[in-house]
Amino acid sequence: MISKLAVPGPIEDVEELRVLAWHGAPGTAFAPGALIVELETHKAVVEVRAARPGILRAILCEPGSWEKVGNALALFSDDPDETLPGSAAALPPWIVEFAVT
Amino acid sequence: MSSDVPGTVKLFFREAIARALREEMAHDARVIVLGQDVGRFGGAYREFDGLYAAFGGARVRDTPVAEASIIGLGVGAAAAGLHPLVSITYMDFLMLGLDPLVNYGAKVRFKTGGRLAAPLVVKTTAGAKGQGVAHSQCLEPWLMNVPGLKVVAPSNAADAYGLLKAALRDDGPVVFVDHKRLFPTAGEVPRGETIVPIGRAAVRRRGSDVTIVTHGYMCRTADAAADRLAENGVACEIVDLRSLAPLDAETVCESVARTGALVTLEEGPTACGVGAEVACRVHEALGVRRIARVGAAPAPVSSNPVLEAACLPDAARVVAAVRRLLLS
Repeated sequence: MISKLAVPGPIEDVEELRVLAWHGAPGTAFAPGALIVELETHKAVVEVRAARPGILRAILCEPGSWEKVGNALALFSDDPDETLPGSAAALPPWIVEFAVT
Repeated sequence: MSSDVPGTVKLFFREAIARALREEMAHDARVIVLGQDVGRFGGAYREFDGLYAAFGGARVRDTPVAEASIIGLGVGAAAAGLHPLVSITYMDFLMLGLDPLVNYGAKVRFKTGGRLAAPLVVKTTAGAKGQGVAHSQCLEPWLMNVPGLKVVAPSNAADAYGLLKAALRDDGPVVFVDHKRLFPTAGEVPRGETIVPIGRAAVRRRGSDVTIVTHGYMCRTADAAADRLAENGVACEIVDLRSLAPLDAETVCESVARTGALVTLEEGPTACGVGAEVACRVHEALGVRRIARVGAAPAPVSSNPVLEAACLPDAARVVAAVRRLLLS
């Protein structure tokens, strides 16, 4: 099943975040706790980490792009070969942990 | 002034401020920064991030909590040839530095027959955001009628960048007033070096039914109100003052001459406020009497969120004021 990694929240006081850096590429497998992507708020950096194992299948937002809480950032799945859908709209969420540093 | 580099880049409000300072400090060795937490800490809102690393502790100096002293120091340093920016984290505490700012900074040119000047920028953050009665005030009107003092107030990242550059190049003194609630915002800023001239308002939205004149964070409130009014067929024009002293009465009057109705909006109190000055100038120039002022209720702004919200203007209140004015 393909799931979407969305900008996590809520984060107090935050309207928009900038995508800073991806710590993997399509095909990378993430173990629980592994850092997936760093996002920047007006005050701090948000570290988004995997809460369960899975494979990054597609990156939807390049570093430097701006996203609101809830926007789709990437697609994940358990199966590396599962076909990707045309749109991320109806996908279930990929569960993550996030820390604001 | 606008360089040839086309396009824009989206920056956090704090990054626009840091960028203006970095550019001005790079090409003018006289520009220094003084204030609490400006050095290694990078500023209370991270608005001075990177400056200490780039320019060192002699040019980016942490000071104690001593507003009168650091503004006095800034005035003296400016008179001696530097171009200091003094950061006063909360506008409420600018009160402590009014004597050196008003009696010395704003008057040194007059007192010395032009032999001395005070090219000083005082940057300070106004506005309510849950921090209580002595950390929420908007005191711009207290400064607007001081001869020799300029006051600017950006409402977005691009103007924060452009106005701060203009302020740092001005003969001064200039008070640059930003707002707590602007720091979580981001906006498109020109890629090339760009200066926003002091003394020029900007028309943010075109409309024919009423002119809303405002500044700072309240520009966003005005915009939200205008969206709601548009749903009911009322077209608002929004003028963002950007400079409070000198105030661009020409742009305001040109707008009200077309719409025939004026609503002023500020976060501070209406009594002797920015809107009072705008209303008088418009009435004196045009004879327009369809004027209403929106501002804070006459009470200290509490840290209690219910009381704070009850005190401050919001889109609903602006909508109500416009409706009342247009129906009267």
